[in-house]
Amino acid sequence: MEPEFYPTGPAVAIERREKVLAIADPHFGVEADLHRKGLHFESRSALRLERLMEIIEESDPDYLVVLGDLKHMIPYVTRQEKAEMPQILKTIRRETEFRLAPGNHDTGLEHYLMQDELLPASGAVIDGTGYFHGHMIPDESLFGHLIVCGHHHPVVNLYDDVGCALRGTPGYLLAEVDTKAWTEVQTESPTRVLLVPAFYELAGGMDVRLIPGSKVSPIAKAIRPETGEVFLKDGTYVAPFTELRPDPLEAK
Amino acid sequence: MNAVEELRNTLHPKLQAVLEKRGFDDFSEIQLRAIPELIKGGNAILIAPTGSGKTESALLPVFHNMLSKAHPKGFTALYITPLRSLNRDMMNRLEWWGKELGIKISVRHGDTTQNDRRKQATNPPDLLITTPESIQAMFMGKVLRKHLAGVRYVIVDEIHELAASKRGCQLSVALERIVELAGDFQRIGISATVGNPELVGKFLCGKRPCQVVAVPVAKTLDLSVRFAGEGFGEQVKLIEKCIDSHTSSLVFTNTRSVAEAIGNALVSREDIDVHHGSLSREVRVDAEDRFRNGQTRGMICTSSMELGIDIGQIDHVVQFNSPREVARLMQRTGRAGHRIGAASKGMILATGFDDILESMVVVRLATENRPENVRPHINPADVIANQISALAVERGEISIENIEKIFERCYCFENAGELIRDVIAQMEKHYLIRTEDGMVITKARARKYLSLNLSMIADEKKCVIFDVISRKPVGTLDESFVISWISSGAVFVARGQVWRVLELEENKVMVEPAKNAKGELPSWEGEQIPVPFTVAMEVGALRRTQDFASYRSDERSVTFAQKTLDEMKKNRSITATDKLIVLEDADEGVVVNLCAGHKVNEAIGRVLSILISARYGSAVGIETNAYRFYLRLPKHLAAPDVEEVFHTLEPEHVEGILQLALKKTSLYKWRLVQAAKKFGAIDADADYEKISMNRLLELFDGTIVEREAFRELFFSNMDVEGAKEIVRRLKNHEMETRTSRLSVIGAQGLFSERDMVTPPGEDQAIIESVKHRIAEQDVVLACMHCRKWKSRTKTGRVAEQPVCPVCGARLIAVLKPYEEPMFLALKKKTLTTEEKEAEKRMMKNANMVLSSGMDAVIALSGRGVGPDSAARILATFAKGDNFYREILKAERRFVQTHQYWG
Repeated sequence: MEPEFYPTGPAVAIERREKVLAIADPHFGVEADLHRKGLHFESRSALRLERLMEIIEESDPDYLVVLGDLKHMIPYVTRQEKAEMPQILKTIRRETEFRLAPGNHDTGLEHYLMQDELLPASGAVIDGTGYFHGHMIPDESLFGHLIVCGHHHPVVNLYDDVGCALRGTPGYLLAEVDTKAWTEVQTESPTRVLLVPAFYELAGGMDVRLIPGSKVSPIAKAIRPETGEVFLKDGTYVAPFTELRPDPLEAK
Repeated sequence: MNAVEELRNTLHPKLQAVLEKRGFDDFSEIQLRAIPELIKGGNAILIAPTGSGKTESALLPVFHNMLSKAHPKGFTALYITPLRSLNRDMMNRLEWWGKELGIKISVRHGDTTQNDRRKQATNPPDLLITTPESIQAMFMGKVLRKHLAGVRYVIVDEIHELAASKRGCQLSVALERIVELAGDFQRIGISATVGNPELVGKFLCGKRPCQVVAVPVAKTLDLSVRFAGEGFGEQVKLIEKCIDSHTSSLVFTNTRSVAEAIGNALVSREDIDVHHGSLSREVRVDAEDRFRNGQTRGMICTSSMELGIDIGQIDHVVQFNSPREVARLMQRTGRAGHRIGAASKGMILATGFDDILESMVVVRLATENRPENVRPHINPADVIANQISALAVERGEISIENIEKIFERCYCFENAGELIRDVIAQMEKHYLIRTEDGMVITKARARKYLSLNLSMIADEKKCVIFDVISRKPVGTLDESFVISWISSGAVFVARGQVWRVLELEENKVMVEPAKNAKGELPSWEGEQIPVPFTVAMEVGALRRTQDFASYRSDERSVTFAQKTLDEMKKNRSITATDKLIVLEDADEGVVVNLCAGHKVNEAIGRVLSILISARYGSAVGIETNAYRFYLRLPKHLAAPDVEEVFHTLEPEHVEGILQLALKKTSLYKWRLVQAAKKFGAIDADADYEKISMNRLLELFDGTIVEREAFRELFFSNMDVEGAKEIVRRLKNHEMETRTSRLSVIGAQGLFSERDMVTPPGEDQAIIESVKHRIAEQDVVLACMHCRKWKSRTKTGRVAEQPVCPVCGARLIAVLKPYEEPMFLALKKKTLTTEEKEAEKRMMKNANMVLSSGMDAVIALSGRGVGPDSAARILATFAKGDNFYREILKAERRFVQTHQYWG
C-alpha cells in the first residue's frame, strides 16, 4: 500500500482492494462561530465543497471517509449548518460512497446521515485500515493496523539559518503508538497512526513537534516520538520526528 | 479714519464695546484682511503666523454675525480642532468673550463628563468647541442631530494637520453630513503655512468657492544656521547661551528623547522646562503656565508645541538639529516675535555634515516661502466604509445614489466613482450592512461597530519596553513601531538611550542597553520625521555646487562642511550629489549614497534588496536614511553587483516589486488588519485563537481591502512616485552611478549619532543598577557539610567567608530561593539521578564560595548564573566594574537562551 497525497485538500487516498479517500476536519459551518468571535466573513462552505469535489473527481475513490468534525458548532446545530449540510451531503453522495468517523464537533449530525454512513465514534476498519477521528481511545479492532486520524490539525514549521522559512504549513505525522495503556492485547504488527492535517483552510493548527506526549488526545499521549516521521501535505518527506530542527529562537 | 477704526465701526455694537473693554485697540494684518471678507459670509482659509490673532480673525466675524442675525435653536457654530488640549486652551481663551457677549460656549470631546453632555443636549450652547471624532459620535444621537441641524458656521483649526490625514477625510464627509441636516454653512479653515493653500481650501469646501487670506510667514522670518559643535556637552552649552541671551525661548528638538536628554543636562536650572507628548497632561499644563507667567525663560519641546497652544510672548526659537521639513521650520519659528511688524527670530543648531547642509537648504526654502505641499489621502476606502456605515446607522437606510452625492462633494472623494459601490459590496460580505433595491440598509451590528470605530486613528496597542538588566519597565512603544522596526537583535532609541532587543513577547519588548549602535536608529513612537525628496535633492545639489555663500549660515558650519568635502577629495572618494549615486563597499555590505529622502530611499532600498535576494538566493538586510541606504549582503556580493541590479530596474516595475516585497512583512499585515477592521470584517476585540491569521488575511487577496492597505502603505511609508522618478533619471542619464570604497560621507549614515544622544555615564548607570539588584537578591546559605543548616538572607548581607553555625564548616553553598526544596531533599538516604545532579552542582557551588569568598557569592547571585557560568566569570579575574560586566554577560547569555518568564 502506498498512500496518494492531494495537496490541494489536504487529502490522502489509501488503496488496497478498495480506494478510500480520507479528509479530516472540514468544519463546515465554522463561519457562524467566527462571527461570534468577532471575525465576520461569508460562508466558505461552497468553496470548501468545490475543493473537495475536485479531489474526488481526480482520485475517483470507492469511499470518501471524513475523519470527523464534518460540522463545526458544538453542542448544537446552527442555522447555517442546518441550511448547508443536506446540500453538502447530497453533492458528495452523487459522486461516491460516504462515511463519517464522527468527531467531537459532530453532535446532532445523525439526523442528516444515512444508516451506513455513520461509523462508530471509536473508529472502524475498512479494507485493512483503521479510520478514526482521534479524540478518544480507539476500538480494539483497530489495534495492529494503520489508523488514519483527524482531530489534531498538525502543521509543520521549517527553519533555516536566518529564522523561519515556512511557518504553519499543513503536514502529516506518521508514528507508532504505545497501546499498553489501553489494552493487554498484543498485536502482531505495531499500531501506527497517520495524523491528517485539517481540510478546513483557516485552521490555526498544532505544531507537529508539540503533538507527541501532549494532552490533546489519548492518541497524542501514546505516540512514540522515536518512531515518528513528518511529511508535508504533498507527501514530501521532511525528516524523522526526532530530527526536526528546533525553533532557533527557543531554548537549546 | 484709518482702516482699523473703519473696521471697528462695522462691527456689532456689543462687540465694539467688548473690544474696548479688552483694550483691543489695533488689528493685525490678518484680522484687517479677513474680518470684512468673513462678515460677508464667504468661505476662507486663513494663513498667518501662529499667535498673530488668527483665531480672533475667524471668530470676531462669526460673533458679529451671531449677534446680528437670529438663528434657530441648536449649535449655531462649531469650532473644530484636532486635539483635546487645543480645545481646552480655546475654551479658556473664549470663556470671557462668551460671558461678555452673551454667547453660550461649551466644549465637547472625549473627556467631557456625562453631566455636561446631558446639559449640552437639553440646552445646546451657541458655539461648541469639539474634535472630529466627537462630531462622529454626535450623529448617533437623535437630539444632538437636531442641534447639528442649526449649524451656520464651522471653523476648522489646524486644518493643514487634518488635511494630511484620514481623520481629515472623515471630517470632510462629516461636514457634508451636517449639510444634509442643516443646509450649507460658512466654512473657515485656519492653517499654518503650506505650499498649496488652494488645495487646503478645496479640502475644506469641495467645489464651493473658497478664498485664501494669507499673510506670508516668510517675510517676517529671520533665520540662521549655526554649527552646534561635536560633543553633546558643547551643544548643551550653546543652547544655554541662546536661552540666556533672550527673555523667552523655545528650543525645539525632533524627538522626545533628545528633548529629555537636553532637559536632563539643564536640570539644575530652575528656569527651564521640558514639554513633550509623553509627559502627563498636568506636567505639560504646568510647564505652559510657568512659561506664560514668565517663571521660566526656556522650554525644551517637540512638535507638541507646534500647534497653537497659547503660551504668551516668545522672543526666540531655537531648533536643535535640522527640522527636516520647510513647513515645520516655518511653523516652529513663526511662533516667535508676535508683536506686529516684529521679525520672528529663529536659529538652527546643526550637528554634522548632513545636518548642516540640510539646515542650510531648509532655511533657504523657508525664506523663499516655499514650504512643502499638503498631501491629502485620495479615496481612502476604509474611510468610505466607515462613513457609509455611519450614514446607514444615522438614517436606518439610505440610497446608494444619495451616498455617492455626499461623497462627491468632498475633495478627497470627488473621483471615487465605482469605488463606492465596490466598498458597499465588500461591506456586505462582512455583514455590516445589506442592500436592497439600490438602498443601503443598516444591520444589527453596525451600531456597535460604529461606536468602536468613531476614529480613523489606528487603535494602537502599546508595548512595554522591559529592561532585563534593571528588570524594570523603561517605557512604551507603539504597536506599529514595534511591528515595523523591532525584531530580536534590533537596536532603537528610547528615553535618550540606545537599546538592543533580546526578545519579543506579546505586548512586551525585552531589551538591554546597547553601546555600539550602527546606523541611524529608529526612535520611539513614530517620531521619525522623513526628509522630503525636494529637500534631499537640493542638499545633493549643494554638495555638487558647494556654493555655500548663497545660503545663510555661520562660518563654523561652512568650515565644517568644507572640511568634510576636502577630506573626501584627499581620500579620492566620490561625493554623491543630486546627479550622482555612489555605491560604496563597506564591511558587511554596500552603502548606496542617494540624496532622495527617507521615503524614496526606503522604496528603492526595498526593491533592490528583494531583487538581490531573488537573484542570489540570500537574505538582505536594509537600513535607510535620507541620504543613503545600507544593504547588508553576503561576503561575495560587492558594489558593482548592486549597481548592475540597480540598472536593470524599470520604472514601471517598481510598484509591482514593492507589493511583492511588502506582502510578507508584518507592517503590511498590520495595515491590512487595520483596514479590515474599518470594513467591519474584524472586530476590535476579535478572538484569533485557533485561527491561522495568515490564511485569514489571504481571504483579502484581490479585494478592495488589500488595495487600501497598499495605498496607505505607499502613502505613509514609502514614496513610489519618487522612486520611479529616480529610476527614470537613471535610465535617461540625468543621474549616473559610480562605485567606490567606503567614504567618510557614506560612513556617516552608519556611524553618525544624528538624533541620538547618549547621556554620559550610561554604562556606569547600568553597573550601578546591577550592583544594587544583586545586593538585594534573596539567597539561601546552605551548609553542604552537615546539611543541617540553612539560612535565607540577601547577598549584600552575606559575610566575606560564611561559616556554618552548626558544624563550623566553611563549605557553604549560595543558593537561589527556588533551590531550597532541592537542598532539603538531599537529606534522604537514596537520591534520584536528578537529585544527584543537584547535589554535585551544590558541592561545586560551595567549593567555589570556599575558595573565592565574596566574589563567588556575588557571581552566584546573578540571574540564571549557576556554578559553571560563575566559574567562567571568576576565571576572567575581572575586578570592580569589570567583574559586574562579566556577570552581565553571563546573564545575557541566560536571557537569550532560556524562556522562563511569564
